[in-house]
Amino acid sequence: MLTSLAQSAFSTWLLSSNSIWAYPTVLTLHTFGMMVLVGAASMIDLRLLGFGRGIPLQSIERLFRVMWAAFALNAVTGTMLFIADADKRGPSLIFWTKLAFVALGLVMAVLIRRRNFEGGAEPVVISGAAKRLAIISLLAWSAAITTGRLLAYVA
Amino acid sequence: MPNLANLADLAHLHLLLNHFPTIGTILGVGLLLLSFIRKNDHLKKVSFEVLFLIALATMPVYVSGSAAAEALKGQSGVSQAAIVTHNDAALGSFILMEITGFFAWLALWRMRRIGRLTTGLTYTVLVLSVLTVAAVSRAALLAGDIRHPEIEGGQYAGLFGQSTGSGFISAAGIKDYVLQHPYVWPTCETLHFIGMSLMFGVLMIVNLRLVGWLRGMSFASVHRLLPFGLMGFGINFITGMFFFIAASEQYTQNVAFHWKVVLLMLAGVSFLVLTVYDEAWALPASAEAPLTGKLLGASALVLSVGVMYFGRMLPFIGNAF
Repeated sequence: MLTSLAQSAFSTWLLSSNSIWAYPTVLTLHTFGMMVLVGAASMIDLRLLGFGRGIPLQSIERLFRVMWAAFALNAVTGTMLFIADADKRGPSLIFWTKLAFVALGLVMAVLIRRRNFEGGAEPVVISGAAKRLAIISLLAWSAAITTGRLLAYVA
Repeated sequence: MPNLANLADLAHLHLLLNHFPTIGTILGVGLLLLSFIRKNDHLKKVSFEVLFLIALATMPVYVSGSAAAEALKGQSGVSQAAIVTHNDAALGSFILMEITGFFAWLALWRMRRIGRLTTGLTYTVLVLSVLTVAAVSRAALLAGDIRHPEIEGGQYAGLFGQSTGSGFISAAGIKDYVLQHPYVWPTCETLHFIGMSLMFGVLMIVNLRLVGWLRGMSFASVHRLLPFGLMGFGINFITGMFFFIAASEQYTQNVAFHWKVVLLMLAGVSFLVLTVYDEAWALPASAEAPLTGKLLGASALVLSVGVMYFGRMLPFIGNAF
């Protein structure tokens, strides 16, 4: 299955086309999505940890929309990149570890939004539990970037 | 239009640009000293702005210097040892210059928060900028030893000695370290991506507020996040320098890298403008920024995405790796 994906016409086009619109563009969009997703998540996390306390949470709720849009972009471009290298990525432990960290980061985003942003009233004090979620979120995204980057060197 | 991928033209560019760090830092220090005499805080602010801009302008100077060294490789009448000595001195002064620029920005940022300049930061910038003048002048003098027959035999030629590897910082040592330890490059790449995300997160929140897409927050409340943006830049400057020093020939002639440096400088300028943009900082939470503010915010976002784009495209548009 993985081998047939890696040998598909799509994979061949993505990897061996000389067009700048093939692999380079897909990879760049994936990097762009990562930067936007992790950038938005880390700003929400830093706010919850007490940096920029004056920022009303309501005013940055829109950043969750940015995060999901960026995630959608990366789910698509990531799938394309996976197909291109399916025979290498499929059995790679680092690759699945990366996906697990991405999932953890997304779960944290959902929990953070549910606990701090929904329900109308602005929380006066950010609870210890919310701060722990923010720290886990920062660590999860850092780990996702680390494992993602390592794919280019180790796997 | 000079062909920027041409080593000779890049070397020419180095000869044009290399006066900016020396003269610019002296100008910055001069304005700072004058501000003490005239007891003028506004002038202090200007001197910090000048030092920050010169720190940005030093980037293409260092980068084009590596191209100039490649252009001179193997030419007769050129002392390779003098090039190495100049390069190490230039690298040291470049690092010092960036630290000075960082503290100059920090002083401007603190001023925004507490309404006046703090003595501690002001004197830190003064000491750092004087050290930078000394370091950058030494680098400039050492450059004279590379190939300027008109100064040979003069009492200032070879003023700082011709021996290599005696300096505090050795570019060759850094290069060897990066290339001999296989974990260094991937580690730097990872940190480079984390720094980029952090930097873009800050730029996004501030500039989307300026543009008007994020609403209901004052600039004063976002103030505390700005240093995280510069922290991200610091991580990326350090890791980026490891890449550049270890494989400079991959970058010097790479047109994607040239664009990256140009856009990075412009993004730096927009970050400075944002820091000292009084109208925006005075805006209440619900108010919209004026049109110039919106344009500034939009251009900052476009520039920073451009920096990322040309960085990612180094192997594809250019010829790196």
